[in-house]
Amino acid sequence: MALSETEKRRLSGVDIQTRKKGVLVRPDLCIGCRGCQTACKEWNKLPGDRTVNRGTYENPPDLTPNLYNKIRFVEVEEGGHLRWLFISQRCMHCTEAGCMKVCPAPGALYRTPEGAVAFNKKKCIGCRFCLAGCPFNIPRYDAEEKISKCHLCADRLAFGLEPACTKTCPTGALTFGDRDELIQMAKASGFEAVYGEKDLGGLGVLYAFKEFPSFYGLPDSPGLPASVAFWKSILKPLALIGLGGAVAAAAAHYITVGPKEPEEGGEE
Amino acid sequence: MRHDLVQRTTGWERFNHWLLALSFIVLVLTGFGFLYNSLNWLNTIFGGNQLAKEIHKWAGVVFTLSVLFTLGSYLGDSIRFTKEDYQWLSSLGGYLSKTTTEPPQGRLNAGQKLYYLLVVVLTGAVIIITGFILWFAQSTGWLRFGHFLHNLAFVVFVTTVPLHIYLSTAANPGTFRAMTRGTVTRAWVKRHHRKWAKEIGIE
Ligand code: HEM
Ligand code: SF4
Ligand code: SF4
Repeated sequence: MALSETEKRRLSGVDIQTRKKGVLVRPDLCIGCRGCQTACKEWNKLPGDRTVNRGTYENPPDLTPNLYNKIRFVEVEEGGHLRWLFISQRCMHCTEAGCMKVCPAPGALYRTPEGAVAFNKKKCIGCRFCLAGCPFNIPRYDAEEKISKCHLCADRLAFGLEPACTKTCPTGALTFGDRDELIQMAKASGFEAVYGEKDLGGLGVLYAFKEFPSFYGLPDSPGLPASVAFWKSILKPLALIGLGGAVAAAAAHYITVGPKEPEEGGEE
Repeated sequence: MRHDLVQRTTGWERFNHWLLALSFIVLVLTGFGFLYNSLNWLNTIFGGNQLAKEIHKWAGVVFTLSVLFTLGSYLGDSIRFTKEDYQWLSSLGGYLSKTTTEPPQGRLNAGQKLYYLLVVVLTGAVIIITGFILWFAQSTGWLRFGHFLHNLAFVVFVTTVPLHIYLSTAANPGTFRAMTRGTVTRAWVKRHHRKWAKEIGIE
């Protein structure tokens, strides 16, 4: 994908913090109507999944290749009362996106000018590494083993439209906007901390929580998986350094100590 | 056979060695193509990432079989470590000086034994098993486990195999023909494997 100068600037480290688009999720305002879940399916032309009644309105039980955005139902009993809470679960559009770091097929996952992490099924080779790289268990794979996940409606954003989910949300539980403005908005509404403000270089999907993130099934302090972080900083560079070092050591040995020449008179 | 030559490898050993080397080279080239965006052009040579993935998987199958086939040829010798092997290791095979002579070695020297056991068998097992895990695993846990160890083993391979190639070609004139013609000279055997020379009665 060829980027214009403005787009490149937008995507450069500094700008991405201030210009990146995002979604603010406020679980306290969510009424569990699942309008966003349906709007997402409509816009992305995703077929329904066949499921069974599990005794909850939460359906399907998890993200699928045909379900990019799902309302997770949190049903807990506290002091004899049932608490019934809802949260939108989808790709976070991380600035430090683990999925993009491990993807071996350049262009299969790409950053849109708005800072979303979108995908191109034609370039995806179906290796499933992005699931290993993702801290939030988001990527799913379709029947052809190609990546499927929320792309923040990259096709709508390109035409200046907001994502289908935020467009539909009737209560303000989902708000689309400039990421920095969303953070200010949440703070102005009395939230001290915004989940995703700093995590993983800044998440595109921000959460204003009244509970611990783990209450909603999210990691309390999200970060790259340890194995992926170690791989990225040590193992990956070491492969080329190791190869180069071995070739250099062999060459150095050859021109200093030299080969084990045959003994005088001995022919080899 | 010329009277001054000694049979070093069987035809089957040579065939399998080049099967191993060829599949390895394909795996390393496509592996680097996947590992670094900047080296992705390597996969373009193999017909693009999609095809390169298939080639990588099936070259892995060939490599797996080939590693299994080496067991019959080298495992027996490699697990028998002798006094002379420790001497060989403590003088690093004499590779750090022009004058040291090598302690008498059997058919394989201590370095070859360690290369075989630690790199080909151990690291080979790790890269092969994790390769199949990555091929079939669906869960995040297995994928992370496989991704990490497959890459770790890759680092070991790309660091040690160039040394193996150097040691069996330029560093030791007369060695390479063991894997082409299958024979080496008597002088070469006496120089590098004096214990083996005694065993096969040429000294
Ligand atoms: C393409 C480059 C390669 C060349 C030029 C090469 C050359 C040789 C030669 C000449 C020998 C015979 C040594 C002797 O008889 O003393 C040998 C042995 C051997 N090679 Fe290779 N080889 C190559 C790649 C590989 C690879 C990729 C592997 C495995 C990953 C491998 C594994 C072995 C093993 C296990 C032996 C027997 C034990 C030993 O000599 O260490 N070779 N090779
Ligand atoms: S499954 Fe596709 S998008 Fe995910 S890491 Fe592999 S090639 Fe990239
Ligand atoms: S949430 Fe997962 S899939 Fe989405 S950008 Fe972050 S790492 Fe990638």
